[in-house]
Amino acid sequence: MPSKPARNLALVTAAVAAAGLGAFAAYRLQAPRDLPQPASGTRLSAPRALPAFTLVDQDGKDFTNTGLQGHWTLLFSGFTHCPDICPTTLALMKQLRQHPALGGRPLEYLFLSVDPERDTPAVLKTYMDYFGGHIRGVSGSRAQLDAVCAGLGLVYMKNPGANATDYTVDHSAALVLLDDRGRVAGYFQPPHKLDTLAADLAGIVSGT
Amino acid sequence: MRTAVLIAAMLASTGAAACPDLAVEQAWIREAPPGAMSVAYAKLINRGKKTLVLDGARSADFGGAGLHRTVVDDQGNARMREGTLAIAPGASAMLEPGGWHLMLFDPARPLKAGDIVTLALTCGAGAPEFPFPVKASE
Repeated sequence: MPSKPARNLALVTAAVAAAGLGAFAAYRLQAPRDLPQPASGTRLSAPRALPAFTLVDQDGKDFTNTGLQGHWTLLFSGFTHCPDICPTTLALMKQLRQHPALGGRPLEYLFLSVDPERDTPAVLKTYMDYFGGHIRGVSGSRAQLDAVCAGLGLVYMKNPGANATDYTVDHSAALVLLDDRGRVAGYFQPPHKLDTLAADLAGIVSGT
Repeated sequence: MRTAVLIAAMLASTGAAACPDLAVEQAWIREAPPGAMSVAYAKLINRGKKTLVLDGARSADFGGAGLHRTVVDDQGNARMREGTLAIAPGASAMLEPGGWHLMLFDPARPLKAGDIVTLALTCGAGAPEFPFPVKASE
């Protein structure tokens, strides 16, 4: 029978070993092992499903998980009262859609507004139309946005301004890639290089 | 001495000479969706011997303007913050996508690629004017 200190040490050692094994298992599950990694982003080894959600698109129609099925989706979150990084990224998405490397690929584009107070469907429609009408704009209630953003691994935070309508919104700058089952498949962080990103996306979306 | 003070006061009141050494290159304004806010970018050069501090802009074509900086932190979150931009003598600073920029809001008229907007860049008491061509997003 080991002494009490020795027994405690054994228990602690076992606990640490178990925790280590658990962390290693988690690492092995999370670490990209088999999938080739894109040059400009990170591809999840195990795509992550989104919770069921209902948002509203720029035409006032419901947009749910079903809208992410059957094609890949490149998603960016932001808001239309964002003068710099949002139009820069939407212009990039427009260029991606026209990029030869992505011709014929089943890839669609989604803009998730995290400013539903100002980004009504009508505002989103005008904004999306300007960028060619091929990027779908969606938003929703705070509760829906919180749930969707948590599932996407994105964050946002409203920064009050001088008055109720004068505010900015901090938000994730990443492009999120969703697979053809509507699951999070990878992330691409700015600054983006058009050709590199197009080649990365083409490689993933084609399955090569 | 009194004359010098008077001249300085006159210059300050006209606003024409408080930052006479500010030069602008590669200036452009991003064409924006109808009614949406826009943004101005440029290379700012201080050709003088004193530090210049840019603190904003104004234009008859916009209801207001502000100098902001987009910062993307280590977690990939974009934040936009107001600030002032100091340019040392002989140095230059870039207003560019993803960094420092002049936010332009409440457009007074529809602006299309090819239009020219006059922006007065405010630096202390001065506000020299520069032409900014409107360009489509690239």
